[in-house]
Amino acid sequence: MPAPLLQLSRATVRFGGLTAVDTLDLALGEHELVGLIGPNGAGKTTAFNLITGLYAPASGSVAFAGRDLAGLAPHRIVAAGIARTFQNIRLFGSLSVLDHVRVAGNLHRTAAPWQALVRGRAFRESEAAVTRRAEELLALFHLDRFRDAPARSLPYGEQRRLEIVRALATRPRLLLLDEPAAGLNPQEKIELVALIQRVHREFDLTILLVEHSMRVVMGVCQRIAVLDHGKKIAEGPPEAIRRDPAVIEAYLGPEHATAVFHH
Amino acid sequence: MTEFLQQLVNGLSLGAIYALIALGYTMVYGVLRFINFAHSDVFMVGAFAGLYLAPLAPAGSILGGLLVVIGAMLAAGLLGVTIERLAYRPLRGAPTLNVLITAIGVSCLLQSAGQLVFGAAPRSFPVIFPARALSVGGLDFSSNQVVVLVVAISLVVGLRLIVFRTRMGAALRAVSQNPRAARLMGIDNDVVIRFTFALGSALAGAGGVLYAVNYPSIDPLMGVLPGLKAFVAAILGGIGSIPGAALGGLLLGLVETFVGGSQYSTYKDAIAFALLILFLLFRPAGLLGKTRVEKV
Amino acid sequence: MRHPFSYLLLALVLGGVLSALSDRIDPYHLDVLIGVGINVVLAVSLNLIAGHTGQFSLGHAGFMAVGAYAAAAVTIFLGPHLIGDAPSPGGLAENALFGAALLGGGLAAAAAGLLVGIPSLRLRGDYLALVTLGFGEIIRVLLQNFEPLGGALGLNGIPAYTTVFWVVATAAATVFTVGCLVRSTYGLGFLAVRDDEIAASAAGLDPARYKVVAFTAGAFFAGIAGGLFGHFKMTITPSGFDFSRSIEIVVMVILGGLGNTFGVILAAVLLTLLPELLRPVAEYRLVLYSLLLIGLMLARPQGLFNFRPRSPASRA
Repeated sequence: MPAPLLQLSRATVRFGGLTAVDTLDLALGEHELVGLIGPNGAGKTTAFNLITGLYAPASGSVAFAGRDLAGLAPHRIVAAGIARTFQNIRLFGSLSVLDHVRVAGNLHRTAAPWQALVRGRAFRESEAAVTRRAEELLALFHLDRFRDAPARSLPYGEQRRLEIVRALATRPRLLLLDEPAAGLNPQEKIELVALIQRVHREFDLTILLVEHSMRVVMGVCQRIAVLDHGKKIAEGPPEAIRRDPAVIEAYLGPEHATAVFHH
Repeated sequence: MTEFLQQLVNGLSLGAIYALIALGYTMVYGVLRFINFAHSDVFMVGAFAGLYLAPLAPAGSILGGLLVVIGAMLAAGLLGVTIERLAYRPLRGAPTLNVLITAIGVSCLLQSAGQLVFGAAPRSFPVIFPARALSVGGLDFSSNQVVVLVVAISLVVGLRLIVFRTRMGAALRAVSQNPRAARLMGIDNDVVIRFTFALGSALAGAGGVLYAVNYPSIDPLMGVLPGLKAFVAAILGGIGSIPGAALGGLLLGLVETFVGGSQYSTYKDAIAFALLILFLLFRPAGLLGKTRVEKV
Repeated sequence: MRHPFSYLLLALVLGGVLSALSDRIDPYHLDVLIGVGINVVLAVSLNLIAGHTGQFSLGHAGFMAVGAYAAAAVTIFLGPHLIGDAPSPGGLAENALFGAALLGGGLAAAAAGLLVGIPSLRLRGDYLALVTLGFGEIIRVLLQNFEPLGGALGLNGIPAYTTVFWVVATAAATVFTVGCLVRSTYGLGFLAVRDDEIAASAAGLDPARYKVVAFTAGAFFAGIAGGLFGHFKMTITPSGFDFSRSIEIVVMVILGGLGNTFGVILAAVLLTLLPELLRPVAEYRLVLYSLLLIGLMLARPQGLFNFRPRSPASRA
């Protein structure tokens, strides 16, 4: 196996006395689509916040493309190629749909900020390129009809899509999706599965997916890691995880050790 | 050494007044999480209430002085409750910034209305407590300084008893720890908030009279600097903490008095703010406060 | 703003015309006009910090003070060495000196803004407001104790270089700069940082940097406004730049609507003219101001002149 794109080595996050992520080892190869699941409070979102630099590891390390991420501010980690979405959607209250994508294009803007005052050719071309790219992305995800609407006015499912588009506008190599199916109805979940697969394919990405909905995780992931109480209790292909007694026990307690993932 | 003890006494009596004002800030911050900028002007109104009540009470007696203090506390408490009802309650749940701006507006209103009603010129404050120059072991101080300390300490002790020994005090602590849970337990948050404003404003009113007793001229803008400094004191002690506010007030009073007595006296007014910035940067939780972790 | 330069040009022409006609305009009206222009600069620059970037600052008068003193120091102490002892206001050399003085004032204030911007990285909301207030007061106390610049008595004998053209040109340049900045891809970052810092950093933006830039740029223009103010009044005192001056600028920004440049300009104009109109009832002025502020927060928190349905101030 070639060197992994993302590598967590014995990574640990503590809040006071609570160990939210406990000596977690996790490796993602280039182009993989991996699921991270576990019961509530298992440490999935904390693991995301660790990878994206919102939390620092108490011990252990996070490396991306061979580079240690220790001490990097969140925006630098985005610049290095890791983008994310949030479990509780975080859109900008005063920006339009288009501006959400434009603002995320700042990493690839070619004109310096002061050029906005001179408004020369370089500035206009840079602005046009950012806008064009933003419009392309919106069209690709069928959000172009909402181009100038305030983002908060979008239907819930579209807000989730917009968050993914905003993440893609930073041109990541690794995309972290934090419960993208939360709050979606069954029809929307089916569409989401197709969307994730398409993003994975067309944007040439590695994806790490935190998800509660088994239908989504089992449907798209090539490999699944299971967290419980901050520790990884299982890892493997979906069929193996589905039958793993440790996983079933973590989800439903010891007395329900029969097939549970069928609904 | 005498000089040092002298300044110590002066610093403590100034600090006691800061502490009284700081308590109101800290209590309101505890339940509503915002800086009640108008608090400093409630302090001012307390002093003016004292001014107008003084002729009604026997002059220059302990009893008369205490009556004036109590009257000013009632007036300030009433004002605090009124402000809360008219300006802050309609904004419950609004962004902090809106409440903050409203508080600044109320503060400006009290100052400018004060200038209209009380007049803009400084007024001299009558003698309400028996005024004697005392001399103990080479230390010279006025009986007023003793009165200020004794009254302030009794009020802080009284406040502690209310907060820790009464049902209303328990409700107050519950609301400041978790307003939603408190409501689920059947506590009427509005009543508790009104009570908090009454209590905090009454203390500021007492502070106003005590300040006027020690610095015998008052004007409608007198609250601005002591008020800001008292808030700094609340942060030094740890915002939301009652003993912290008392400690922070005393500490700030002492530091200011010692700087005021040194060759750097003209920088006295900047000390509080320099301390504020240092504390917010390096120990934002204050001396006795607890650090909170922001959840993402 | 499809052609931002045309607006700038229009404003400069307007300034030139007013300047050329200034002999025929009633001096009182001219004074009011200069006051309006200076307040527009102050309000629009504070709006960059407090409105667009969401860093509620109560120390804008402090930046103004730094600029006023620095600019006055340049014309008073460096002026005689550069253009001789007998300047004639309106001459080319004087205007060049004044331009340099304003730039110096702006840069000095920008340095102060940088200094304030750094603590702003760790603080938010009312704590930040308090620290900026504290900075303003510290600047005032330092100036009061700095004898070479007049100490508590203030600095007198500042040459009267401020003309209506300088004021209109500065106001236009401020509006142009802030307007162009916040509409650019880069400048959208100010709004994003205000709306949600964590989401902004997830979009690859550095919130700390945006805040420091906003403070530095906002302070720069406040410093220039201070320079204009000093060379207009010809005398400045530290107490003229106290907390209540800061509040006045805050009220303009709030009234106009946080982040709404057009509304803020209108509010600055209105709040400068209002006291002139209210002269007969001058003692009620501040009462009216504060009632206005409270009423606004209770009834229309997005600002009086903000006609967009969504508003940053009412976000959850």
